Amino acid sequence: MGAVPKMKTLTRLLRLWRMYAWLDFMWITRSAQQSLLYFTGDAIVNLAALTSTLLLAERFDGIGPWSKFQIIFMLGYAATATGLLDIFCGYNVLFIGRRLGRGQFDHTLIQPQPLWMALLTDGFNPFGASSAFLTGLALTVWAGGHLALSPTSGWLALFGLNLIASAGIVLAVSFFWGSFAFFAPRAAEEINTPLLHMFDHLKLFPLDGLGLGMAGGLLTVVPVGFVAWYPCRALLGLDPASYAVLLTPCAALLFGGLAIWMFRKGLRHYERVGSNRYRDMGHRG
Amino acid sequence: MKQLRKYWIIAALESASMVGEDSLFIIQFVFRFLRVVVLLSIWRVLFAGQSVVSGLTVEALLTYTLIQEVFAEQLLPRTDIEWAMHDGGIAMRFLQPLSLVSQFTSQMVGRWAFGFAFFSLPLLLVSPVLGVHPAPASLASAGLFGLSLLLTIAVGVGLEFIFAALLTHLEGSAYMVARVRTALSLLLSGAVVPLALMPWGLGEVFQWLPFASMASAPLRIYTGTGDPLTLLTIQAVWAAVLWVAARWLWQVHREKLVSYGG
Repeated sequence: MGAVPKMKTLTRLLRLWRMYAWLDFMWITRSAQQSLLYFTGDAIVNLAALTSTLLLAERFDGIGPWSKFQIIFMLGYAATATGLLDIFCGYNVLFIGRRLGRGQFDHTLIQPQPLWMALLTDGFNPFGASSAFLTGLALTVWAGGHLALSPTSGWLALFGLNLIASAGIVLAVSFFWGSFAFFAPRAAEEINTPLLHMFDHLKLFPLDGLGLGMAGGLLTVVPVGFVAWYPCRALLGLDPASYAVLLTPCAALLFGGLAIWMFRKGLRHYERVGSNRYRDMGHRG
Repeated sequence: MKQLRKYWIIAALESASMVGEDSLFIIQFVFRFLRVVVLLSIWRVLFAGQSVVSGLTVEALLTYTLIQEVFAEQLLPRTDIEWAMHDGGIAMRFLQPLSLVSQFTSQMVGRWAFGFAFFSLPLLLVSPVLGVHPAPASLASAGLFGLSLLLTIAVGVGLEFIFAALLTHLEGSAYMVARVRTALSLLLSGAVVPLALMPWGLGEVFQWLPFASMASAPLRIYTGTGDPLTLLTIQAVWAAVLWVAARWLWQVHREKLVSYGG
């Protein structure tokens, strides 16, 4: 691809993100009461999700080899990674099994842009879904201050890279499993829900001390260890291996490749059989 | 028994629909099972080198966690009434010759049967392999746990209708209400972290809230780490208070419901 087409693609992406951001802004500001309720509710949900582990870290002055503020850093990182997904993959892009299982994927396919671009942009909701991201960022900075981190620009770049990789791994796993909905629309419509609930729950704990087999499984079969635990170990210098900070980005490439393979396989099946679950009143119509 | 038949039919329909429509159900139980294994391991790491923390032995804590997972659906009961309000299905419920509470409760019980057979029982069976002793502290604890569980369900269903009334009043999002309800319940009920392990004496405050009457009370009775009489009394009081409040709130707000679809 030459420089001009690349610029065109980038410009189109930015225009779509701007448009979806505006739609999101209009939605969130449609009523002062609803906005207040929404933001209050979202704040309660995000804080409550982190509080159990925070309380344990306070009570035991850390968890295993992790100090209290290292745990807080990890929680902040986990919330920020989740926040990225909330912001960029709303409206069931992350829960892709729902779109596929409900026969709503045709809505995406008829968009006048490539499929990847549609999926990358139409879940963008930076105003309505910023709560986890902001909470996570605040916790990370706060914990970083107490840990006396003196981040260099290289460390910050690695932090950003790992963060994007962690979010990418969750998205990849979600797409891998969600692609089953191409083959079994009803049965796999909600397959992402227990998967992501498990991720949400387990990402909040350091996985040291689980034994090699279990920790290995949680970095490969169900890679929840890459959501926060492993990248934070690497970033905080708890893992002596020099390659540790690059392992999460490498894993993201691997899981991304698997997800693309599975999704394409499902898409080919969909091109032949379509979906018999489409309803013009919506899936709850 | 004849009176119970109508509720049984609703529960059976709900249970059967899960088998028929959700053929990949086993996957969600695999994910849940994995979560339990990791949680048990995390408790062992936290308790490493300490046999008793805040009056809880590591054995009691592991049993607490295991039984919480076995009875997870009963300890945090969900009727999903907010989704019926969200998709308009509530309108059809008003047309049926049964009270709303009995309809939603029967459906909820139907869902439990499925999860209990395919997740709870297998988890109980493999618990020795996980290194957890699943038995209650005593025979009396087992009996009182059953009674406590009934009160838990009463408290939980009462809270469901209170949240449903608030949802109508605030014209809010069912999605948000469901998330807030779950988040608060998990944190304040002692379902994830036993109240005794909370810092700054928070557990002593939380134990008086209705959420603690849902998970913490029956689990403490089961593991013999709380006084059953006190816990059952608190549960009974909350069940009575919440049902009066739920009934009043629901009667006031149900006339404001506007429904389309279903």
